[in-house]
Amino acid sequence: MDWISTLLQAPTTSIFWQLVASGVAVGMIYATIAFGYQLTFATSKTLNFGQGEALMLGAMLGLTLLPYLGYWLMLPVILIFGMAQGAVVERLGVRPAIETKSEFGWIMATIALGIIFRNMAENIWGRDDLKFPSPLPETAIELGTVRILPAEIMVVVGALLMMAAVETFNRRSIYGKAFVATSNDIDAAGLMGIDTRRVITMSYAMSSMTAAFAGVLVAPVTLTGATMGAVLALKAFAVAIIGGLDSALGAIVGGILLGVIETLTGYYVSTGYKDVPGLILVLIVLAIRPAGLFGRRTIKKV
Amino acid sequence: MLKVQDLKAGYGRVEVLHGLSFHVPKGELVTLIGSNGAGKTTTLRAISGMLRPQSGAILLGDADIAGLPSHQVARRGLAHSPEGRRIFPSLSVEDNLRLGAFVRLTGVREKGDVEADFDRMYDLFPRLKERRAQQAGTLSGGEQQMLAMGRALMSRPEILLLDEPSMGLAPRLVEGVFDTIRRLKEEHVTMLLVEQFAAMALDVADHAYVLENGRIRFQGAAKSLRNDPAVRSAYLGGH
Ligand SMILES: Nc1ncnc2c1ncn2[C@@H]1O[C@H](COP(=O)(O)OP(=O)(O)O)[C@@H](O)[C@H]1O
Ligand SMILES: [Mg+2]
Repeated sequence: MDWISTLLQAPTTSIFWQLVASGVAVGMIYATIAFGYQLTFATSKTLNFGQGEALMLGAMLGLTLLPYLGYWLMLPVILIFGMAQGAVVERLGVRPAIETKSEFGWIMATIALGIIFRNMAENIWGRDDLKFPSPLPETAIELGTVRILPAEIMVVVGALLMMAAVETFNRRSIYGKAFVATSNDIDAAGLMGIDTRRVITMSYAMSSMTAAFAGVLVAPVTLTGATMGAVLALKAFAVAIIGGLDSALGAIVGGILLGVIETLTGYYVSTGYKDVPGLILVLIVLAIRPAGLFGRRTIKKV
Repeated sequence: MLKVQDLKAGYGRVEVLHGLSFHVPKGELVTLIGSNGAGKTTTLRAISGMLRPQSGAILLGDADIAGLPSHQVARRGLAHSPEGRRIFPSLSVEDNLRLGAFVRLTGVREKGDVEADFDRMYDLFPRLKERRAQQAGTLSGGEQQMLAMGRALMSRPEILLLDEPSMGLAPRLVEGVFDTIRRLKEEHVTMLLVEQFAAMALDVADHAYVLENGRIRFQGAAKSLRNDPAVRSAYLGGH
């Protein structure tokens, strides 16, 4: 347990907080992708297992558009592209499975589409990792003894803004309420005149949009390449299980928890073990709170 | 207003309705009674598009709506308060009502004064006003039934389908539900009411159909069925 004493030694506490800060940044990316899983799960009880590829496509296309549009003009284009990509996944992969009442068809279909997108990206952009220039200064900001990259701050702020925007839409607008109604009771929502098939398509569009956005957020702090999304999507899936599939707060807390645990383990134990504590956490949560730490069960009285 | 012709519907390969024909004239209250499993709910589900009919015609006004998905039927002015109430448990009472007006708020049907209709619902169901901000899932059964009816009315429907609004309620609350139905009738809301409480349904209705094993067994003016010996012994328990 010499890592505990390392941890407690005064000069290294700044390293500790440093690690926490990068853990939070990574965690917010997981949270954003997990939030995307929640969106489609809410409407259709299905998940887009190609979320990682939606993220990757956002980052890669963003990189391609960067010289023409600049970072800030590129963002709305990527958001729209993400929506279109998500809608395509739903129409090609998910709707046929739902309509034929195939219980697990969507799993294979979304995974297959993810692989196709990854192969396409490898053919278009090659197999090498590329550098995504940050729109912000590359020099770290000093907060006390902790040094944080502006791009990392942007990840946290951007992710929170994106989730807040979607949540506000759901709570305030009539279409957002239609989304919640569909997730409550899809048949009853149809009786209200809500086109629930379109709501499901839109949930996929919004889910991929958040992933594509996460892609351009994370790209400046990691490497950008065709395979960048796969591991992120898997981690985010763990986060969705830890936090619950129906709580945005759960996604954020779960994401930060996993991100921080990972970076700390990577530094104090070994990078080889960095994924282990997070997976143990998943197993623990599944055993004691299968709905996730923040998973709610709505009260239903008759 | 609503005309059903030779409707056949069921689940999978099983046919539950074997060719029903009936109609609901504008401004009238028609009731469909019959014992448990007769096919009342299936009939309403086939009309509102929750279930795709196997054959037959369902005329709403002049248009055949048979086979249309439920959201399109709703957009044509049919509201269905389904069996089991099916309110949106995680949304507030007010949002449940607002979603009832979805077709109006989104410009599919004439908007009119939605805010005034909120007041009308709160006037009809004062309990809902007290609980307007509360999560609908926390309401009692009686309150949920009021909400389901209010939500259906918020669309300002041409016709309202009610599936056993009295189900699972204490006798006093059943009275309340029927009072509401009477009041809606005075306002000339066209209604198709499905009930197991046949006596009460026959008391409020203009016309009645008795369903048995997916077929219409009797039909006639509600008053005359109320006094028909065959109907009385089979469905009214001699009362
Ligand atoms: N979802 C379903 N799947 C298969 N059979 C059903 C389903 N719902 C109802 N049925 C059958 O259809 C028949 C009519 O049911 P229903 O319309 O619910 O009757 P009622 O509303 O008059 O009690 C019953 O025999 C019932 O078992
Ligand atoms: Mg029934």
